[in-house]
Amino acid sequence: MCVDNSLVLMKDIVKVFPDGTIALRGVNFDLCKGEIHGLLGENGAGKTTLMKILAGLLKPTRGEVIVKGRKVKFRSPADALRFGIGIVMQGLSLVPVFTAYENIVLGSRGTKPSREFVEKLMKEVGLIVPLDAVVENLSFGVRQKVEILKMLALNVDILILDEPTTNLSPSEIRELFKSLRKLREGGKSIVFITHKIREVLEVTDRVTVLRKGRVMGSVETSKTNPRELAKMMVGREVELLIEKPPWRPNGVALIVDELEVMGDLGVPAVKGVSFSVNYGEIFGVAGVEGNGQIELAEALAGIRKPLRGRIVMNGDDITKLDVSERYNRGLAYIPEDRKVALIMEFSVLENTPLTEISYNKELVNRMGFMKIKRIVEKSMGIIKQYGVVTPSIYAPARSLSGGNQQKLVVGRELMKDPRVIIAVQPTRGLDVAATEYVRNLLVKMRSSGKAVILISSDLDEILGLSDRFAVMYNGRFMGILEPDKVTDEELGLMMGGYTYEEIKARKV
Amino acid sequence: MVNSRFTEYLVYIGNVALAILIGLALGALIIWLGGYDPVKAYTGLFETSFNPSDYYYFASTLSYATPVIFTGLTFAISSRAGIFNIGAEGQMYMGALGAVIVASMNLPSPLILPMALITGTLMGALWGLIAGLFRALRNVNEVVATIMLNWIAFWIIEYARNYGLGDPRRQEKTISMPIEGRLPLLVKNTELSMAFVIALVIAILVYIFMWRTKIGYYIRVLGAGVKTAKYAGIDPRIITLYVFIIGGALSGLGGALEICGRPPTYAITTAASNIAGFGFTGISVSLLGLNHPILIIPASVIIGGLLAGSRGMQIKAKVPLEMVMAVQGLIIIALSVPGFTFVYRRWRIKKALRGGESA
Amino acid sequence: MPELDLLGGVLIQSTWAMMPILLAALGEILTERSGVVNIGLEGIMLISALFSVFVADKTLNPWLGVLTAIGIGAFIGLIHGFISVYLKGNQIISGLGINTFAAGFVAYSIEVFWGVRGYYTPKPEAKVPRLPVIGVSPLFLATIAITIVLFIILYKFDIGLKIRACGENPEAADVVGVKVELMQLTSTIIGGALTGLAGAVLSIDWLASITKQLPAGRGFIALALVNFANWNPLYGLLGSFIFGFLWTASEYMKNLEYFTRAIPMPLINTIPYIATLIVVAGVIGRSRPPQSVGVPYRRELD
Repeated sequence: MCVDNSLVLMKDIVKVFPDGTIALRGVNFDLCKGEIHGLLGENGAGKTTLMKILAGLLKPTRGEVIVKGRKVKFRSPADALRFGIGIVMQGLSLVPVFTAYENIVLGSRGTKPSREFVEKLMKEVGLIVPLDAVVENLSFGVRQKVEILKMLALNVDILILDEPTTNLSPSEIRELFKSLRKLREGGKSIVFITHKIREVLEVTDRVTVLRKGRVMGSVETSKTNPRELAKMMVGREVELLIEKPPWRPNGVALIVDELEVMGDLGVPAVKGVSFSVNYGEIFGVAGVEGNGQIELAEALAGIRKPLRGRIVMNGDDITKLDVSERYNRGLAYIPEDRKVALIMEFSVLENTPLTEISYNKELVNRMGFMKIKRIVEKSMGIIKQYGVVTPSIYAPARSLSGGNQQKLVVGRELMKDPRVIIAVQPTRGLDVAATEYVRNLLVKMRSSGKAVILISSDLDEILGLSDRFAVMYNGRFMGILEPDKVTDEELGLMMGGYTYEEIKARKV
Repeated sequence: MVNSRFTEYLVYIGNVALAILIGLALGALIIWLGGYDPVKAYTGLFETSFNPSDYYYFASTLSYATPVIFTGLTFAISSRAGIFNIGAEGQMYMGALGAVIVASMNLPSPLILPMALITGTLMGALWGLIAGLFRALRNVNEVVATIMLNWIAFWIIEYARNYGLGDPRRQEKTISMPIEGRLPLLVKNTELSMAFVIALVIAILVYIFMWRTKIGYYIRVLGAGVKTAKYAGIDPRIITLYVFIIGGALSGLGGALEICGRPPTYAITTAASNIAGFGFTGISVSLLGLNHPILIIPASVIIGGLLAGSRGMQIKAKVPLEMVMAVQGLIIIALSVPGFTFVYRRWRIKKALRGGESA
Repeated sequence: MPELDLLGGVLIQSTWAMMPILLAALGEILTERSGVVNIGLEGIMLISALFSVFVADKTLNPWLGVLTAIGIGAFIGLIHGFISVYLKGNQIISGLGINTFAAGFVAYSIEVFWGVRGYYTPKPEAKVPRLPVIGVSPLFLATIAITIVLFIILYKFDIGLKIRACGENPEAADVVGVKVELMQLTSTIIGGALTGLAGAVLSIDWLASITKQLPAGRGFIALALVNFANWNPLYGLLGSFIFGFLWTASEYMKNLEYFTRAIPMPLINTIPYIATLIVVAGVIGRSRPPQSVGVPYRRELD
């Protein structure tokens, strides 16, 4: 396989977590010097777990790890760093309140690398960042660069990147790939963890596919194709097209006018958004995560108060109404985070009235007592109708699988017979069967005349399900279009910050 | 699946039993290091708390369980909301003060007892509300706020005792509750009064409140997190205020009941010494009872036994009775690390590994 | 002028009043910066105070007493740190337990050590001597020095950066090889040691006695001070001076008939606590705690 001996060899790795989940079931993995090796798989396939073991963050339950010819047993990332292995985690591995420079020199033992050293390093690898800027003010693309510089400053020559393109625009992704190739030319070896087949084909030399904790195959990138990889990833041909009856919009459900919403970091996350959604349609909001989608959803639900603008539902101005009032008028919200939508320690039964009890008089009697019988009925109804697998309604929510938890949330919200449904990343982390189920459910809602707002960073999902959709970038809509009337290139440009008008005018 | 809930319960009971054992064992060590006889000490403890041959002592135990049921409930309710209300001490003081104030007014006989209890409850609720406002409106850390209020309440009581509500004949205590305001004793010639029955009833009511009413449900949802609470349409600040008002009312009632139900004084003594400590003891009771109103009852009997037994420990082995508070502290520290949960987790990994091999 | 003398007296006395709060707050600033919260400060002060009196009294050497207090404080810090950092226990409950234990243990120990109940006054030779000319305690100068040193270490030294990273984003620190748990444990131990020193100030320096209520809530006022100081030692210095001044002033008020006629003595005693509440209420919201404080760092979180 490798020209010289393998730089890294992981043999028969098994990993069982304290709560009993088996993440890896005997995985073999090797890394050659000077290659970019893709680790491909769905959510939960075990890619991150495997690399966390290599980086010293986790210990394998069984198996061997051999680095640079020596058998190793890392007890902490410090041990792995001594062998030149560093990992850039998905999400923030930087200290937000420190400057870029402080973050880069954080791990060094003894004397800090000097300013000059860091500046020289930046030029060498072509990754330039503003050293004195506070990290929380930097864009995700720049933060990514700081992360990589941090590792390089520690003399890492085996660099692991976990889903590095999340939150990056297409142009930032291109820059990242350029840097990775440069690093490879400089002799570094890179493991690139992702679930995006397109990226694997673009930048890797070899790709290993994991599914449910096992290796499904390991091939040279030049010798494979998307369908083969998808098959290995998922076990069957991925069916992205959903049967959708014709689009029949039926009256205006929601009008949003010049909405501005403050984010958590003191700057507005939504900077003036206007759109309308009809009954009987799915309105999608596409875009890389972190561009204001969540804040928009929370403002529509009433959880976040807008700075400016109006929200009109079914003809009534609901801008000043609180959450329970909006629920009462037929709004349902399926949040991105299941830990917010469900209370894990509560039973299925106790999770059932969560979003209804604040306004539904049928669930509470005049003295303030809950009508347990009614709630039990509802609970059993949800389980039956939505196929939630659970031993009983008294089982705690955390004992359900991710897919069943999501089914519970979706079922609970849809049982309210809402008129407007806001769903944020509804299929994230779900296996293929559950994903298909949820998507079909959304289409069914659309057919029965409801208005659905689907916010997702999965472009295939948006394009496949929406009747109309918007691309959100930096708190604004770059354009509102129909899926079959836009090209991939135009999409990429919008996600990268160009408005549709600009694109059409410049004929880019 | 039923199996796993059952094993979960076993684990919880194991944690509690282990914590008590550790507390008692380390306590014995400290007693021995102090030059006392631990065997005599614990025998004495047992004799004045759970002595099977003389019901007086068990009645004492129950009489001490009574106030700590109330303060325990205060802590339990706030814990379930994710809030650390450790102001039960001050809230109880104010409740006791309320009862004493009523005792000093010359009300017609049938009104004294109900007015004393109502006033005490309201004053406790008010004291809790103050802390609640600091937390809900200004986001002040409730640990700091409640402790400050505890000390302020303490000095208010001292002020009352020295400057107006003091017993003119005996300066070390306030005016006593007149006979018409006293609760009947459950068992003659003991310290156990009807207050204990009231405590039991209240504990059950709190259980029903927390699990069967909308507000109780809201309180528990708040404990799952502010984000979830907002998602459910709840205003966290309003529920926070509820938690503090109800918690304060409970401890206030407990304080008033001490005045109306504790022979022979039926009053507050110097430096609140006869009611001091119940507030903090409530924390250990609640933790032992896993913050559950019904489990707090047996937990309060255990801790009540410690409190009642401290006398016996002092008499028989000359061990200063404050040692009992030290034992409580050790139990609390032991409870911060659920020991059995470790064993349980390891067992589950082994089980999963065995299952994984066959997979 | 008598008024100036009075003011001078109050100022000098304030140096004592501010020490215990400041020392405990400095310790807790370090601890919380590393990501651990310790609300057992009151208990640590109390137990350290007890042992420092015992040792100083027995050996007639106040400095041995001071060392004992530091040692005991470090020891309790070690226990709390071990529970919080390695056993991942509930830090608030552990702290509550320490306070409860201390209340009982100290009352018990006073009787065991000296056969008296309630309080004990150490011999004059056991007390920390005053400095000549200025009339303040040498521990006061030490406290100022510690404040400055802590500030420099936290903000100007590499190790300070690493400690602060543990409190803000432990994963970020871990991934670059910072030994998060070791940093947290060490910070908690040092925090305990400083709080222990505060205990010594109470028992063998300033108040020169030991009772079971010696700290009288100062451990919690220190917690409020940490917040008020925005986790910065220099602001802590300022804040503790304000508190110290207020506390001393209220004590002086008790001696002035003018005041005691208007406000009865027990109520004057409430002034420090009410002041704490007001200050904390006014300041919260503008301060920014370390983002990951109080959350035990777990790697295997999947």
